[in-house]
Amino acid sequence: MTQTFTGGTTAGTVAGAPIEVTNLTKHFGGVHAVQDLSFTVEPGRVTGFLGPNGAGKTTTLRCLLGLVEPTSGSATIGGKRYHDLHAPMRVVGSALEATGFHPGRTATNHLRILARSGGLDQARIPAVLESVGLAEAAGRAVGGFSLGMRQRLQLAAALLGDPGVLVLDEPANGLDPEGIAWLRSFLRYLAGQGRTVIVSSHVLSEVEQTVDDVVIIANGRLVRACPLTELTTGRAHVVVRTPSTDQLVAALAAAAPASTVQRTDEELLVEGLESADVGRIAFGAGIELHELRPGADDLEQVFLALTSAPTDGAPS
Amino acid sequence: MSATLTAPAAAPTRRQRLVSAEILKVTSTKMWLAMLAGVVVYIGIGVVASIFAGAQPGVSVPTLETEPGMRNLFAQAGGAYVFAIVLGALGMTQELRHQTLTSTFLAEPRRNKVMVAKMAAYGVIGAIYGAVGVVFGYALAFALLPLKDHADVPTDALWQIAGGAILGCALFAVVGVALGTLIRNQIAAILGILVWVLLIEQLVVVFLPAFGKWLPGGALFGVLQTTGFNGTEYLPVWAASLVLIAYAVVFGIVAALTTQRRDVT
Repeated sequence: MTQTFTGGTTAGTVAGAPIEVTNLTKHFGGVHAVQDLSFTVEPGRVTGFLGPNGAGKTTTLRCLLGLVEPTSGSATIGGKRYHDLHAPMRVVGSALEATGFHPGRTATNHLRILARSGGLDQARIPAVLESVGLAEAAGRAVGGFSLGMRQRLQLAAALLGDPGVLVLDEPANGLDPEGIAWLRSFLRYLAGQGRTVIVSSHVLSEVEQTVDDVVIIANGRLVRACPLTELTTGRAHVVVRTPSTDQLVAALAAAAPASTVQRTDEELLVEGLESADVGRIAFGAGIELHELRPGADDLEQVFLALTSAPTDGAPS
Repeated sequence: MSATLTAPAAAPTRRQRLVSAEILKVTSTKMWLAMLAGVVVYIGIGVVASIFAGAQPGVSVPTLETEPGMRNLFAQAGGAYVFAIVLGALGMTQELRHQTLTSTFLAEPRRNKVMVAKMAAYGVIGAIYGAVGVVFGYALAFALLPLKDHADVPTDALWQIAGGAILGCALFAVVGVALGTLIRNQIAAILGILVWVLLIEQLVVVFLPAFGKWLPGGALFGVLQTTGFNGTEYLPVWAASLVLIAYAVVFGIVAALTTQRRDVT
């Protein structure tokens, strides 16, 4: 499938700016929404900002965008606070949860208002609507839009200033599978141009095919910030089902002493070997296998393990 | 690209852009037209009642055969202020209700500039409401007056009342925006404003004029040159205008200050 996304955004390379969150803390009354959070988001990459609902993702993004005043610490874009950006929508495009539309206003008028307040070129509106697949709905009142269409309009608003930095809060919510696939390639395209893209989600599997880096938080604290590949390193495993469990364990121990085997009710989880190795060893020992596959839910398990860890201790 | 075809227009200033965005917010939905229809109905009822209502026993209201009575009739054309203040409050509380305030502050994070632009835009729209009310109210009054005995039309006062109505509506719209910022809940803001403007303030202004003339509604009576029961006079036009302006400025500053650091979630 070939798609072009140039409509509405600058073709070629775009200079992104890094996002730096430093010792950010935000308390709402007695609720500690974000606690001493620090991480960096690099240009030219898609960063997944992950954590369960209520982890503090939205609060962090709202602090970054000057909507919420941090209790302490800072969040900057290219070294500047959002308030200090001269024309913020040209630098940062954002689509936040709980950002609404007047139901009686058309999509075009919503964007015209933003263009006027942000000092942006109104002539870009049709192209931006086209690029998110809303060209047909441009003149319709937003009240009749589906959730997915609203998400697309949010994205159109974020792109209106052709910014180098995109901050998207749960952008996949409400999109159908086709829309999610489209969003994935769109975000890859935008990051490929050099833009900084940060995408929050509470479901890792939703973004794992899109992101280069992950920043994982739970209960307002940083759990992990690393490239996605490092999140999985050393955790790959092979799932095996066999009626001859004991024999297979013995055969694996004999043939590959470095591997480790974990028994669950019906399955063996083998770490340190590829599926092909396990199959060859079983075949050599004449052991019948009923199932042999790489551990596919690995990342999600890592994510769940990371985010459900006890939180009263210091982050690792 | 088109520089060779047309002289480059001066880029609008930030203030112009923000005010025009706020005006587009109003004109891109239908509420302001519905409210304008309300202006026409409300003023129509006021004018008709002033002309045809019979004298109430025991109450001394200036009649059309006196100059104060004629001024009271034309003051009915200033009734758009009720809708101007409600529209202002709606303009602010809708941003909270539909969560568009986030977009607004993302586009312009200098919130005091946004608030000043919003109040300026609503001031303009309030003035338009006032002007429409005056044109309609005067036209209806002139159409119906021949049916009743009346004093001469106070021509000079007519212009002053028209100016007062337009100024008053502009300032009431500004106060509406400020109240919407402070009360935040749309239903509470609208109900509170209507109960205050149409009931509580009216009672105070009519029955305790010495105190009521200093209230916004009482000051508006002064601007519109209204005469109350038993010949009660309100503030002179200049003083009443200053009082109204002071209310708008004070409410506006308080609203801008409270918006400055409040978390938008």
